[in-house]
Amino acid sequence: MPNLNEDPLVTSARREAVATVVLWAAALAYSVGYCYLHGYNRPLDASLSEMTFYFGWPDWVFWGVVVPWGACVVISALFAFVFMQDAPLGEDHDDEEELI
Amino acid sequence: MPEWLDLSRYGVLMALVVIIGVSGWLGVVAQRAVSKGSFLKGFFLGNRGLGVWAMALTATVQSGGTFMGVPSLIYSFGFIVALWIGSYMIVPLTGFSFVGKRIAHLSRRTGAVTVPDLFRGRFDSPTVGLICSLMILFFLTFMLIAQFKAGAIVMSLAWPGAAESTMTLAEDAGIALDRQYYIGLTIFAVVVVGYTLFGGFLASVWTDLFQSVLMAIGVMILLVLSLQAAGGLEKASKDAAAKLDQVAIKAKADFARYEERIQSGGEPLTDAEKKKRAHAEIAAKFSGVGFVTGPGMGRDFLPLGLACSFFVVWIWGGVSSPASVLRVMATKSTATLRRSIVVLSIYNLFIYLPLIVVCICARSLMPDLSEPDTVIPRMALNMTSGIRGGTFISGLILAAPFGAVMATVSCYLVVLSSGLVRDVYQRFVNPHANEHDIRRMTYIAMIGVGLVALGANLNPPKYLQALVVFCTSGQTGALFAPIVMACYWRRATKEGVLAAMGSGAFVVLVLYGLGFSGYAQEIGPTTAFRPYFLFGLEPIVWAIAVSGIVGIAVSLLTPKPNEELVSRMFDVEKPAER
Repeated sequence: MPNLNEDPLVTSARREAVATVVLWAAALAYSVGYCYLHGYNRPLDASLSEMTFYFGWPDWVFWGVVVPWGACVVISALFAFVFMQDAPLGEDHDDEEELI
Repeated sequence: MPEWLDLSRYGVLMALVVIIGVSGWLGVVAQRAVSKGSFLKGFFLGNRGLGVWAMALTATVQSGGTFMGVPSLIYSFGFIVALWIGSYMIVPLTGFSFVGKRIAHLSRRTGAVTVPDLFRGRFDSPTVGLICSLMILFFLTFMLIAQFKAGAIVMSLAWPGAAESTMTLAEDAGIALDRQYYIGLTIFAVVVVGYTLFGGFLASVWTDLFQSVLMAIGVMILLVLSLQAAGGLEKASKDAAAKLDQVAIKAKADFARYEERIQSGGEPLTDAEKKKRAHAEIAAKFSGVGFVTGPGMGRDFLPLGLACSFFVVWIWGGVSSPASVLRVMATKSTATLRRSIVVLSIYNLFIYLPLIVVCICARSLMPDLSEPDTVIPRMALNMTSGIRGGTFISGLILAAPFGAVMATVSCYLVVLSSGLVRDVYQRFVNPHANEHDIRRMTYIAMIGVGLVALGANLNPPKYLQALVVFCTSGQTGALFAPIVMACYWRRATKEGVLAAMGSGAFVVLVLYGLGFSGYAQEIGPTTAFRPYFLFGLEPIVWAIAVSGIVGIAVSLLTPKPNEELVSRMFDVEKPAER
């Protein structure tokens, strides 16, 4: 049940945390999945003639790591500038007197 | 020309002097910045004023050690290491947007200066604070001792000519406890304790920022030079593959010869030959195809379970390291966190992918190094030998790990001394301490911690590395779930958080204990101390899962937390309150 008094910062931070976990899970599933399916124990002859290279990267590394890495940079930037919200962090409370 | 006049022998030494000089200067500048306002918040938290660059480039980069190990892995196991560190693509996002905003918020609501302070205030429980503090003190002390050792070794390697002959920074490599080591240790200790004493938290952050920039410059220079030398990445990959097949054929023959000699009872192997035999045994498993495909050349380096695990380890481990949390607490504003995401995204892109390229090129140019740890220093020396100022450039690249070690040590010094002052002195010895007392105690604590680390390294403990590996994982296992609970769950109780901390550390302890006592499987990196990978997963994955479940269960079983306290932590502040 949402709490009506909740600081908007807490609410937005929680929403951003959930979105972050979703993006992380997507990155994990895609990268590990793609590399596992296309890069693990691949039967190749020693001359590597069946391996395609994109910008020098073996195909599975290119599509499984390099491309999603680029995508992550773009998504992270969008997340930071469009989705994530600013909020005042509040004043700094001193707990000196509560120490005892 | 006499040997001592040969300037090329002083490259590393010159670079070290530059790094030490800049660090000292940063300490002095930081001192001016922190001397405004309250001593505690200034010295330990930089008055919560960290900006984008400092935040982006220092909050999630773990330690010099991690970074130093990666090149050796790429060289040893090939392209699969790209997937091993692939999760760094999402680190900038998770590092700042998962709990960042809320940590910065909570630390202001509670007035926290340290991570244990944060827990103590959030749950209004001195016990939670104390346990958290003791755990961090325990874990960090061993990590600090190990970093001191690494620093001393780099210092002793800077001796003219020494680096070129030794060049290895492997933390388990045997070291000579000679005069050079002790001089190195002493200089290292004096420098790093000195500037941290001067500038506190800010000095540690700024030197960290400085070494991050240095590292990036080094990687960029190496990228250009090694791509030129190897003729591009595709050619490098194919050349490396072809050469590895040849290396393997030769190694098989060598190994068979040594075996035959042992079997037939011939002349016993000398130490050098034993080393060669061990290397031939590894090299016999090399294959070009293995280098460019998974799960790793010559070894099950990254089976599926571990591939998934490292997406957990680097990501959530980074989020819960006390050093990261502390820096996020010091952020200036939420806008700083947002911009840091972008800056770090770009930085990581220009560090990790180029590092892979450099080390793949290294394999094609030097296909059979018997000590993969030396790959970056060797590349630095080889690539720069022909160009103007090459000695100094290679010196900078060789000295970069030293900067990383200094920054890490400095950060640990701040965390440890703040723990001693806040959680021991202020709480148990002198609760009414005034600013003057606190300042004096801080200096005493920091010098004391430095002396302990120095003393422990006069005769370095033998199984230090095992303790360090355990402590690094233990701290993540213990702190991740409690941090999430503290940030987002109103129903979390202090008992729940304590149980989560304890069970997380316990799981790591058990799995590492099993591994150290001989149950470690032959998968993953070939480090000397490996844990037991239960169902093929890293201990941290289990620790996070267990500590999360225990934390939730215990919280639900214990009485609800005080509604007023929870409201103070989660709700809009009423204007009537302070």
